[in-house]
Amino acid sequence: MTAVRLTDIAKTIRSKNAGVNQITFDIIFPDAQTYQQVKRSGAITPQSMADLFGVRRDRISAFVEFDPANAIKFTIMRSCPNGSPGDWDILGCQYYAPLMDLTLRLQPDIA
Amino acid sequence: MKIMVSTGHLGTAPSGRESFDRGLEAGPDVIAADAGSSDPGPVYLGEDITMGLFHTEELELFLTASRRLGIPMIIGSAGDTGSNRGVDLFVEIVKTAAVKHRIPQFKLGFFYAEVPQEDLLRRMAQGQSIDGLDGFPPLTREKLVQTSRVVAVAGVHPFIKLLDMGADVIIGGRSGDAALFAAPAIRAGLPDSLAYHMGKIIECASFCAEPFMGKETIIGTITESDVLVTACHPDQRCTVASVSGHAMYERANPNFEYAVGGSLDMRDCRYEQFDEKTTRVTGARWLPAPEIRVKLEGAKRIGDRFIGIAGLRDPHLVRHVDDVVRWSRESVTKMFGTEGYELFFHIFGKNGVLKELEPIKETMAHELAVVVESVAADASLAERVTDYAVRMMFLARIPGVKGTAGAAATTKKAMRYLPGYVWTLNHTIPVDDPLELFSVHMTEAGV
Repeated sequence: MTAVRLTDIAKTIRSKNAGVNQITFDIIFPDAQTYQQVKRSGAITPQSMADLFGVRRDRISAFVEFDPANAIKFTIMRSCPNGSPGDWDILGCQYYAPLMDLTLRLQPDIA
Repeated sequence: MKIMVSTGHLGTAPSGRESFDRGLEAGPDVIAADAGSSDPGPVYLGEDITMGLFHTEELELFLTASRRLGIPMIIGSAGDTGSNRGVDLFVEIVKTAAVKHRIPQFKLGFFYAEVPQEDLLRRMAQGQSIDGLDGFPPLTREKLVQTSRVVAVAGVHPFIKLLDMGADVIIGGRSGDAALFAAPAIRAGLPDSLAYHMGKIIECASFCAEPFMGKETIIGTITESDVLVTACHPDQRCTVASVSGHAMYERANPNFEYAVGGSLDMRDCRYEQFDEKTTRVTGARWLPAPEIRVKLEGAKRIGDRFIGIAGLRDPHLVRHVDDVVRWSRESVTKMFGTEGYELFFHIFGKNGVLKELEPIKETMAHELAVVVESVAADASLAERVTDYAVRMMFLARIPGVKGTAGAAATTKKAMRYLPGYVWTLNHTIPVDDPLELFSVHMTEAGV
């Protein structure tokens, strides 16, 4: 087992509006091996993402492991639609930051 | 067919000229660009204002290139929101640029996408259901009559219609971003599946290439059997990773893309490196929908909005910022009651961006900025609430503070900001004809 920070192994970590009422998060890995290791670690699940952001599980409106891009993708329902008074991140483009410090315990590949 | 695109949102910043010129050298058949989005929030549609500051330069660049090469120029979502005023604005810019550059006469097609409130009320009275997307409830009459402006999001149909009518340049009202790129390819008889998939990938221009660079040119080449996506900037490449990664951008589900009249199923698509700067894309399927539904967007005005800014530097106050905010809010409630206004505190340095989703609960900053925002139907109330809330941060009574001259560094006078709006329509409506909410028009431009 090795403990790694998500920011040290992911190629892209981003968030962006998906329509006016959801923010979608993309974690893209540089290769299939890293991606598969992260999937196997079970560290990134709808429940763990709900816990990280302190929201109920049902606020996670989508969760997809997207093999063509070696990516894990999940989506959170916004507290209010984008640009409503009180919403500062109108594009949802800075919500990904808490993912960066996420620590994962990865199993090495079995040859 | 080669489709060239140099910007993901026309007018917000200029297109990079080096990659634009390289794109032109590749011999495109169409120049296209999306000019709008719902991303900037409801105020632009509601107030009918344009956000970008580079529309004239960009439209002039595309127009002169398109007329020099004799290829169509296609623009969607004119003026950021695709309102009728946005379309008229872009049509005027194109006409003026055509005279300025002494461009020989050409056909300028345009279409409107605003939907009159009476039209929607009539459809609702006839029993048509206007269904909400992403958690919005079905549209009610009450919500609709509060809405300032509604636009419908066009598919490929008005673009194809205008191309059929001989348009050399098209300025579209609100449009689906993939549709405006797919339209010329579908009209040329190329497969719907590849046309929409190409549109989806290239609509944000160089965002589908790596490394990250905005506003650089991409060329999508579509044939009967595949799509090639090529980066034109010397330092950018379209890789399998960048193109497949972009396929899931801004979508909750990376496997499906919805358009007027059907959806694109990308579950079995394939990405291969074709050459150094190009990725080949195949395998998506187009699934025609049994019922044609068009998306509607609409915004409602909440009131006037004012903001003020307070800075906290005393470490004791930084630690107790929640108490400072509580004192301010309670003081506002005592003075103005709780009705007739909304009041927000954005605490930058603590949770200003993520608010209640911020996992870090204790700030580690040595100073904080608190942006106070108030919205009220009565402008003077919004101004007084903002001003008073900032003043009460300055006067906050926090036990243990050493300073006795003021608890916040402030801007004093509240600043008027754009009015407060919320989205009321994020819905779809069934139609018999995909053109029925859009009116197409043709005019002449040039000399």
